Amino acid sequence: MTGTLRILVAVLPSCLPLVLGACGDGTPPPSRSEAMAAGPFCDAAMTRVNEFLASARAQSPPPTGGEYGGTAVVGGITELLSGMDAFHAVDVNQRQHQQYVNLMTLVQVDEELEMRPWLAESWEVSEDGTELTFRLRDDVFWHDGERTDAYDVAFTYLRATDAGTAYPNAGAFSRYLEGEDGVEVVDSFTVRLRMEPHAEVLEPWRVLAIMPEHLLGDVPAEELADHPFGTRCPVGNGPFVFLSHRQDESWTFEANPAFPDGLGGRPYVDRLVYRVVPEQTTLLTELLAGNVDLFVNLRPDQADVVRESDGAELLVAEARGFTFAAWNMRRPKLADARVRRALTMALDREAVVEALLQGYGTLANTGIPPFHWAFDEARSGLEYDPAGARALLDQAGWVDRNGDGIRENEEGTPLELDVIFNAANQLRRTLAELMQAQLLEVGVDLTLTPLEGQAMRARATNPDSRDFDGLVLEWEHDFRVDETDLLSGDGPFAFPGLQDPEVDRLLAALSGEMDRDVARPLWDRYQTRIIELQPYTYFFFAQKLSGVSDRLEGVEADFRGNWVNVKDWRIAPSDR
Amino acid sequence: MTRFLLRRLALAVPLLLAVATLLFVLVEMAPGGPEMVWMGPGMTAEVQAQIRENLGLDEPVTIRYVRWITSVAQGDLGFSHSRGQPVAAVFGQVLPETLLLTGSALVLAFVIGIGIGVLQAARQNSWVDHGLNLTVLFFYSLPAFWLGILLILVFSYGAQVRWDWPFHMPASGLRSIGYEQMPLAQRFLDRLWHMVLPVTTLVLVLAAGIARYARTGMLEVLRTEYIRSARARGLPRRTVLLRHALPNSLLPLITVLGLYLPVLFSGAVFVETVFAWPGMGKTMVDAVSTRDYPLVLAGSLLFAVLVVLGNLLADALYAVADPRVRHDA
Repeated sequence: MTGTLRILVAVLPSCLPLVLGACGDGTPPPSRSEAMAAGPFCDAAMTRVNEFLASARAQSPPPTGGEYGGTAVVGGITELLSGMDAFHAVDVNQRQHQQYVNLMTLVQVDEELEMRPWLAESWEVSEDGTELTFRLRDDVFWHDGERTDAYDVAFTYLRATDAGTAYPNAGAFSRYLEGEDGVEVVDSFTVRLRMEPHAEVLEPWRVLAIMPEHLLGDVPAEELADHPFGTRCPVGNGPFVFLSHRQDESWTFEANPAFPDGLGGRPYVDRLVYRVVPEQTTLLTELLAGNVDLFVNLRPDQADVVRESDGAELLVAEARGFTFAAWNMRRPKLADARVRRALTMALDREAVVEALLQGYGTLANTGIPPFHWAFDEARSGLEYDPAGARALLDQAGWVDRNGDGIRENEEGTPLELDVIFNAANQLRRTLAELMQAQLLEVGVDLTLTPLEGQAMRARATNPDSRDFDGLVLEWEHDFRVDETDLLSGDGPFAFPGLQDPEVDRLLAALSGEMDRDVARPLWDRYQTRIIELQPYTYFFFAQKLSGVSDRLEGVEADFRGNWVNVKDWRIAPSDR
Repeated sequence: MTRFLLRRLALAVPLLLAVATLLFVLVEMAPGGPEMVWMGPGMTAEVQAQIRENLGLDEPVTIRYVRWITSVAQGDLGFSHSRGQPVAAVFGQVLPETLLLTGSALVLAFVIGIGIGVLQAARQNSWVDHGLNLTVLFFYSLPAFWLGILLILVFSYGAQVRWDWPFHMPASGLRSIGYEQMPLAQRFLDRLWHMVLPVTTLVLVLAAGIARYARTGMLEVLRTEYIRSARARGLPRRTVLLRHALPNSLLPLITVLGLYLPVLFSGAVFVETVFAWPGMGKTMVDAVSTRDYPLVLAGSLLFAVLVVLGNLLADALYAVADPRVRHDA
């Protein structure tokens, strides 16, 4: 007895947090309490959201019938870092929650990459291309009961273009007129923006969700990133209302009963949960065990497990991200296009795609993604041709002069290249190792330098150093493809440092061209030129793989993202 | 003893100041910065500079250092930009979860590890000793994350999907979906149920190491003359072992306990990652990868304080437990 007591005394203190944790959660949902604790702002905001929800539920009781109900659980490996702060979104999962779940953009893109109305019911570009006028819906409300109007759009634009906000995608508005002169509230539901004529003027409005002016209008631009709105108490206007957020654990949203019928009305599922499960094997287990309904971003080696499972289905969608090796042309060794072409020709890229992606990918010859209208499936890049690669290197003056298997130039400098990559990314590590093995066959010696993610980015993007010969990375375009950052000038992302007047001219023309028929031949010439110059060895567009449980219906493989049709997801009554 | 403790505490102050300075310098030297988190199309050098300015990183390093060290001395650990709240609030959220996980694991690991070690020593060179030796070495050499995944595959996925066992364990997280709607008792059980696999993982790995220390300590004590005298006096074997030998054999484990104290607070990053347990370890790794300087600095400093305190505690416990050790002597 005494021994048992001693053990209890020893064990109980460690259980204290558990007991307190359970007790402390009390009657109100704990995360809401946490939100309240974020200060008077959250206190007031969440109180109004509760009142709005109660009122909306009373006015629009849950529809009868079996279609509505249930909780859908999505699992992702990353936290939605800055939450619903549209000015500081970090990754694609977070942005999609802003665009499709909790907030709304003015427009959305459809399957044909054409813009369709969302918060804006219509828009008009003036004949001279200098004015863009949006007409907003008048039946969209913030989840605290305020109506969403033109002042919210003006506020969002002014903050996004305010340098103090440090909106990372501010470059998307570079052709818009900055400041108060750039935006005019015509009436409560009409807003006009001024700009210089350019292509795809709506693209920034597809990306940036509209933010509530009545809640954030008094917050200085410099303080928006630290404001509790984003992660503690977001008040959206989209199909799902924010309920709670547990850091690094989960986000919970509830169906918005007041979402306009004209936009499809209330979502089918009652609740939507985003769970953070950082380890992919664990997440896969949760999917197969039925504890998670949708696993976004499966690894290719996990795809077959899902495909062969009984309770889940594999979804395969085209993706925007392409993986490449950038060759630093500032270095004399890589300044000659023949050397860069030889490097690409010595690599069996098709075999690499098959080995790394197990077929879930498309060979890339340029950065134009397969879903883009300018993508040409028939366009071939440089074929795998080791003999051709050797001949090109010979022509460029790189010959094995001392018989050690590595080529040297006339001065005896060996063709050794330092290739950097993110050490935490196993796929890129394997790719770099395959490159090393294959390039050695033609006498090029790669030194692989794995770096911590931030260190790699710093080394790759600092225009003053660019301390690398090769860089293995993935890049993701917006739906509006503009490669100026990558292939012109010497900005942070001009990894190869390409200085080619023709490419510069084509990029400038493409960014200003609004007519796709006129732009198409320009895109063709641009891609031909990039293949000639080979500033990058393009490897693949990895397809986006997701696993969805049989319980959750309506989820589609969509290159626009997993949450595009979240409103239409449903769970059969027998599976709730 | 009091003088000893005060002297050690006084010495800890300059030590911690030096550690804090070193930490600041190391963080400052690390390549990259918080602005890199948003790296992507359309991001200009001006935006990067503005982010640094908004975070106060545009000021000279000396000013930032003085400001930081002064704030810390006043108890203000700064603001975590990656989590949008004060660092103290972040610790307030993750520390209890870490303590719950590692505290439970440490207590159980010490109890089980000591038990195994005692049993092995008592049955030295028997098949029980050899069998436990093999088992302990097996778990001691296993990486915790691998063991964690294995347990998930067996007790969560396998039990639920493959073999249809009458019970299965949650694979990840702190609680179930719908936790808020549960009654209090069910919440308690739900949290307890979610602890089983991560705590078991840690216990298996930690207990194996502790058992090795305990066995060695016990064997040394069993060879001493006073144990021989106790046996000669005809005391029962159980009494000799548990009353006379065990307390003295635990002395080396005080050092181990002192060393484990920082682990108690710093968490177990691999186990936290595998089981989606939002604790200190994972938080610190995320803070490093997002270059959340205030969080990295405060967390590292906290660990340094715990190392100092852990060692101090071990020394003090030694003096209490062993009359031969007197620090004031």
